Amino acid sequence: MSQFDFSVVLTGEFRHWLVSGFLLSLKLTGITWLLALPLGSGIALCRLSSVTALRWFGATFVEVIRNIPLLMHLLFWYFAVPELLPWPARDWLNTHGAESICAVIALTLYTAAYMAEDVRSGIRAVPATQLEAARALGFGFLASMRRIVLPQAIRITVPPLISQTLSLWKNTSIATVIGTAELMYQAQRVETATFRGVETFVVTTVAYLSVSLLITAGAVWYQRRFPVRAS
Amino acid sequence: MVQATSASVRKKFFIRVQRAFMVRRLCAGNIVRKAEASVDTPAFVIQFPAMIRITALVSLFTLSLAPAAAQADQIADIRKNGELVCGVLGTDEPESFVDPKTRKIIGYDVDLCEAIARKLGVKPQIKQLSVAARIPELLQGRVDILAASLTHTKEREAVIAFSLTTFVTGQRVMVRRDSGIQSLAQLAGKKVVTVKGGTQEPNVRKAVPRVEVVTFETAPQAFVALQQRKAVGFVNDEVSLLDAYAKLGAAQKDYAVLPDSISTEALALGLRKNEPALKSLVDETLRELEKSGAAEKLFFKWFGPGTRLNFQKRNFKLETDRITE
Amino acid sequence: MELLENYWLYFLVGQFPNGPLGGLALTILLGAGALLLAMPLGVLLGLARVSHSRWLRWPVTALVYVVRGTPLLMVVFWAYFFLPSLTGQKTGQFATMLAALVIFNGAYLAEIVRAGIQGVPRGQWESAQSLGLRYVSTMRRVILPQALRNMLPSLVNQFVTTLKETSLGYIIGLSEVSFIASQINNQVLTQPLAIYGIAALTYFLICFGLSRLSYSLEARLNA
Repeated sequence: MSQFDFSVVLTGEFRHWLVSGFLLSLKLTGITWLLALPLGSGIALCRLSSVTALRWFGATFVEVIRNIPLLMHLLFWYFAVPELLPWPARDWLNTHGAESICAVIALTLYTAAYMAEDVRSGIRAVPATQLEAARALGFGFLASMRRIVLPQAIRITVPPLISQTLSLWKNTSIATVIGTAELMYQAQRVETATFRGVETFVVTTVAYLSVSLLITAGAVWYQRRFPVRAS
Repeated sequence: MVQATSASVRKKFFIRVQRAFMVRRLCAGNIVRKAEASVDTPAFVIQFPAMIRITALVSLFTLSLAPAAAQADQIADIRKNGELVCGVLGTDEPESFVDPKTRKIIGYDVDLCEAIARKLGVKPQIKQLSVAARIPELLQGRVDILAASLTHTKEREAVIAFSLTTFVTGQRVMVRRDSGIQSLAQLAGKKVVTVKGGTQEPNVRKAVPRVEVVTFETAPQAFVALQQRKAVGFVNDEVSLLDAYAKLGAAQKDYAVLPDSISTEALALGLRKNEPALKSLVDETLRELEKSGAAEKLFFKWFGPGTRLNFQKRNFKLETDRITE
Repeated sequence: MELLENYWLYFLVGQFPNGPLGGLALTILLGAGALLLAMPLGVLLGLARVSHSRWLRWPVTALVYVVRGTPLLMVVFWAYFFLPSLTGQKTGQFATMLAALVIFNGAYLAEIVRAGIQGVPRGQWESAQSLGLRYVSTMRRVILPQALRNMLPSLVNQFVTTLKETSLGYIIGLSEVSFIASQINNQVLTQPLAIYGIAALTYFLICFGLSRLSYSLEARLNA
């Protein structure tokens, strides 16, 4: 074992394991992102609304979810919550990939809480006069948000959102504790089977870094192409 | 010094010194000449160039002794530290588990480790490890010995050494009765759960090629997943499985352990390779336990009548470290 | 609740004194220790990131990008498998987790320190220069004290994040809060909601309390 032999890890069965893990990690990231963004935006709007109950709900949602580690969320959704469901729902869940579904739920809520804060600060960065002018012109709250405020807010919000996406990509690795067969899970499996820790982890690190650097490059590109205009 | 020894010894010395001298000349230049030329060199060195050669010879001797010293190192290290660090699982009743009342780790493996520590004359230090981390931790030197429900396999022999087999068991599958599964073959296409990093996953995949396996960090965690109906089967060492089954109490009627074993597991203590002194000491301790009857008493203490497992007799002895393949 | 009665001590301190420290005490100790040790590293890396020398800036920037682009779990595994060969010493799970958290948080703190340093008004640099102070003295006596004061809310937030990150010790078998909660659940089996709920509540109370502290600090500093 004194020589590093990458071919063991990169061929045949083990490569298949690692690749399927990588693809599942990407899928988890994609699906979570598509679900978390609308949810996060919704929560942000709740926090900004004039209805006290909605504001309270939004604030509680964000604070509770952000102050509990993702690992706890995953354990909670996989081991605690299904016990509350009626049997038919539980059985359906268990035969249809409970690991991945619970991982997506936990990740979505966690990411949405962070995205909500980013969207909220993005919206607040748009001067209040914009909203006032829109209301004065006769737009309802939602319409003025949709047509006037949010488009301006987006430019400010995108860089923090991209950094949340990066966090999301890295957070998928924690799903290994509930048995989701993503990249980290498969890496542990390959390491157990081959006893080659260095090679396995180098390959896995490179895989994670490749997507991370792509996302970071995307952020840099966006900030160059769409710089925030001073108002 | 040279003058005081006998003639034949002097002759052998001289031949060796010539060789040593040639080696040193090749490697590091002529030390005698340097010594003679130096003003600060003590008088006896210049007067007796042979002294230099003897020193070179002695140092080569010492270097050749070093590998042998390294072999005895681990026992010496353990005695120097005053403790034997044993890696145990702490999550595998009754081999090693946390006693809820005293919050200490106890079990069959722990008792074996304590016996070896007694033999070495040091204190045992119990360190809890995850299943997947056992061999890496041993290889990294964080633990001196593994008493962690470790299966002796041919693949593992390439990286670590094993003591005499301390326990023989099989691996079996526990299923939910309402899944209607009564044989291994019916598991094809279904989901089973087990612990990460052990021999369970590869064994069940070999026994049932189309089975779906999900693994968790600890075996009890996987068992919880079975009980929560996340899978139809739970794979583990027979002893741990039977213990978990016994713990179910009234819920036993919902579960069954499939009769077929998916493998035979010879559990043994894990040691680093190239430590023959430690291995022979460990094996000797185990043999002594067997001869004095202490080994059988230990078996019955944790697995015998009166315990949850209620085994009536022991079907192995602590006598060999050969495994059948 | 009998659940709390039976397991409260195990939850709070793990196996101590019959074994290594665990539970809530371990989580807090690990989090505090990691942040305290990561501070000097973060300051050094942050200084390197704003330095004028290319040879210092580029490698450190690359290092920070690599560490931030890797999941923390990956860093934990690296530390777990390879730290002993590097330091030549046996390291337990606590030391491994500590090392991984220090490296990871050092890289994040580097960015916070960098932002803090760049947030100090240019006027400070200029006045320090006109007073005859050299680069190192300026940093030490003028810039860093002000930067660190501005960073305080971010530092408290980072502490909260570090406390949450200690939960990853679960995966390498470190007896912190999540691992102990799972152990208790595996024994009791019938009350997963209560057990995981209490563990989650514990994290929430500590982290929420600390983030409130950070808000009040920020308010006080900006006032």
